[in-house]
Amino acid sequence: MSRMAEPARVDSDGLAVEQGLFVYGVIDAMADLPEWVVGLDDAPLRKVVHERVAAVVTTITVERPPGRRVDLLAFSGTLDAVAEVGPVIPVQFGSVLADETGVIEELLAAREPELVATLDGLRGRAQFTVQARYLEQVVLSEIVASSPQIAELRRRTRELPEDMAYGDRVRLGELVARAMEEKRAIDADLLLDVILPFTVAHVIRPASGLERLLEASLLVDIGRQQELERALETLAEGVVDRIRLRLMGPMAPYDFAGDA
Amino acid sequence: MTVQTQRRGGGGYLERPAPSGLADVIEIILDKGIVIDAYVRVSLVGIELLTIDARIVIASVDTYLRFAEATNRLDLVEQGGGKPLDEFIGDLQESGAGRKVKGAVSGAKKALTPGGGDDDEESERRPAKKASRRKSTA
Repeated sequence: MSRMAEPARVDSDGLAVEQGLFVYGVIDAMADLPEWVVGLDDAPLRKVVHERVAAVVTTITVERPPGRRVDLLAFSGTLDAVAEVGPVIPVQFGSVLADETGVIEELLAAREPELVATLDGLRGRAQFTVQARYLEQVVLSEIVASSPQIAELRRRTRELPEDMAYGDRVRLGELVARAMEEKRAIDADLLLDVILPFTVAHVIRPASGLERLLEASLLVDIGRQQELERALETLAEGVVDRIRLRLMGPMAPYDFAGDA
Repeated sequence: MTVQTQRRGGGGYLERPAPSGLADVIEIILDKGIVIDAYVRVSLVGIELLTIDARIVIASVDTYLRFAEATNRLDLVEQGGGKPLDEFIGDLQESGAGRKVKGAVSGAKKALTPGGGDDDEESERRPAKKASRRKSTA
């Protein structure tokens, strides 16, 4: 096996700097990398090929200070750009292997058939993320209006100082939270019934907190992107009194990396 | 509150941001993708990030108190501001504006209205009362 040595580097004290390969994702062996795209630390992308698949990597200094924010943004920017030119299976952020042999042995070789199958499933598709959130004022008003018990607890506690009527406050919050959950479950299903026909797969993410209604990752045929956008636009206009809808993407299929 | 002030750029109601903010990116990428065995990979980044967890545990007293506070802070929008989603979707079908989503939506209605009888259908198509109340809140 040809173990390609990383170029030796030294730091300012003349000590050898340990380098590794930061892995972004897996693509078809024959796929081209977008030339204008760089990775973390502006390092040029390259491929480590094994049979029908290839890992997208950049060389990285292992002892580097972790500049986390910029690294995360670079990682997602790089993967999204790679995803624009062909299918890519994202690898979990922060994965660094020692060298090309490590990439092949630990990532590519053992699961090559699964990787090929996953890539086939991603071909011509992209991930979108849809988020729906309530207008807090509106939805809380609905809840107060729909429950005499909540309205009464609210009336009783709102004029008192914050350190009083603790039990009533907890009870009020609990009832509101429960009403919110019920509302969320119904509304989320209704939104999904509109959205899912445009998808080939989806992952619902936990959406909790006061105003969050739905968060879902969608795998969509690129050819249906406009249809999805039009449907969501119509939906967003119709629910604008109480709900806001956001759509992000196309992006790399972070939630559809398969079981490989 | 009026619809006008809440319209988004480009005349669209659907927000279409690029996922460029850190919060978005964290939610989108963290803990996603192929996992390489932690014993063979060199871990140098991301460890601290894994502890960032914006998710809120719903069933806690603190959360309840937060909900109560939000409810008490509220200047009630009388009768709620909006039309229930199922009514809107019923309207969509009626007006034809939702031709694109029609097929999908009819399934939702069936699920929502046990029995799916004509009476339910009728009441969903005539949300006249609610609609007029809604106007008064604008």
